[in-house]
Amino acid sequence: MSTIAASSPGARPARPSRRLALWQATALPLALLVAWQLWALTLPENTRAPYPSKVLATFFSLTASGDLPAALVQSLGRVLAGFGVALVLGVALGVAMGSSRALRDNLDPVIESFRPIAPMAVLPIAILWFGTGTPAALAIVSYAAFFPLLVNTVHGVSRVDRKLMQAAQTMGVPRWRILRHVLLPAALPSVLLGARLAMGVAWTAIIAAELAVGAKAGGGTSGGIGQMMFVYYAYSVDLNAIVVCMVVVGVVALAIDRLFRLAEHRLMPWRH
Amino acid sequence: MSATMPGQPLSQAARPGTAAPRGVPAWLRKTGVAVRSLALFVAAWWGLSLWNGNPIQLPDPWRVAQAMWELALEGELHEHALVSAGRIGLALVIAVAVAVPLGFVMGLSRRVEAYVDPLVELLRPISGIAWIPLALFIFGVGNTLPVFIMVYVAIFPLLLNTVAGVRGVDPKLLAAARTMGISRRATLRHVIVPAALPTVMVGLRLAFAGAWAAVVAAELIGAPSGLGFAIEWYRQLLMSPKVFGFIAMIGLVGFVCDALLRALQRKLTPWTEGTGL
Repeated sequence: MSTIAASSPGARPARPSRRLALWQATALPLALLVAWQLWALTLPENTRAPYPSKVLATFFSLTASGDLPAALVQSLGRVLAGFGVALVLGVALGVAMGSSRALRDNLDPVIESFRPIAPMAVLPIAILWFGTGTPAALAIVSYAAFFPLLVNTVHGVSRVDRKLMQAAQTMGVPRWRILRHVLLPAALPSVLLGARLAMGVAWTAIIAAELAVGAKAGGGTSGGIGQMMFVYYAYSVDLNAIVVCMVVVGVVALAIDRLFRLAEHRLMPWRH
Repeated sequence: MSATMPGQPLSQAARPGTAAPRGVPAWLRKTGVAVRSLALFVAAWWGLSLWNGNPIQLPDPWRVAQAMWELALEGELHEHALVSAGRIGLALVIAVAVAVPLGFVMGLSRRVEAYVDPLVELLRPISGIAWIPLALFIFGVGNTLPVFIMVYVAIFPLLLNTVAGVRGVDPKLLAAARTMGISRRATLRHVIVPAALPTVMVGLRLAFAGAWAAVVAAELIGAPSGLGFAIEWYRQLLMSPKVFGFIAMIGLVGFVCDALLRALQRKLTPWTEGTGL
């Protein structure tokens, strides 16, 4: 088992060439795709099972017809709106709780009682209060995104170096300028981390909400990419289109993650 | 002025550096604050429900407590809770059985990681929720669907944390083990596994949190039982107190399971206590 030795830095093998790296990165996914396509060839002509070439064709036809872009725009709009609400509430409450120990001690029990309640569990209440349209979806997204933002902001603010704050206070800097120029920059790494996590769960939550609203309200008014998936499952039974939606959901999740990491690099150059 | 002066705000006493009131242990004071906060929350909820005046939209806390008591007496509450907990237990066992050995192999061999990691990174962004329609078609409504979704969700944090844990083993320890001529097998068992275990346990807790959020969605859409199903069932009957009761139950079971996992973590890796892991 020379592999154990290989994990220590001293014995690390020479950096693999770019061609080898490319081969390693694509070998397994490509092999699976080819196997999937070959498996599909053994099926009867009018099979419902999805396979790669059909998925690709469905992707192009859905994009050309404008259905997929429209659903995507609707879902993304809801995520951004819900995230915006959670950002304002979470960061404001987080700064307050992070800078006042009394507030933190008193609010923590309530916050911690709600944290293990999954966003999807709140969906039935959201439907009772807001119906099956956009407001219900917004409520779920905000609820899901609120906790990572709050927890990380509290963490970041409560860890700000007290000496910096006291120095600013000693020099007679007004409170809001301390907030703007000392507290927020120092807490920014945590807040941005919270924002990235929150956006990830928000995107998952919107798909779940649209899917469940589509499932329970019998299709209709909600729209969005999650509902599109449900319609393809329940009404037109088009598995290729479902796989297209899944891939799109994954690509959007990846893009969101990369955007936030890029923002972290840009806004906090001192961390790299 | 002493810290035990009556009428002094609790926040003052809770501040570090101030002398603690004599005779009141810290945990009791903490519980007191928690009880007071939750009581205030319940009072606010009650007031809101009186103002709202629509028991279907927002039932008052008393009605919810009554509904929970009834559900508990009929056995419905723990029946659904046990179904959900059983599913998540099974899913976590399967996910650990798949992800931890794979994670060890990937952590120990850079070549295996180079081949497998791209596939993991391709699949990871596709949330478990997005698999629900396809999985519904393949497995139908039943037990398999939620378990499948949860296994899928739980595998990624477990796998990534196991790889990171194995990679993070102190090279000096490995070198020392080699110098002392310990066999590869013993090195794995006595050096790498204990060193990686804390990170793996963190992965397990993350896996549980993700899976618990996903199971509610999966049961809501595609299962004939479980807490997620029960919430949606009573919503359609417009029996709001029971809906709120089951939602509280989801929070409670989630909290208890996390506490159990934390206890397991303390038992398996007592040396990480207080290190933030």
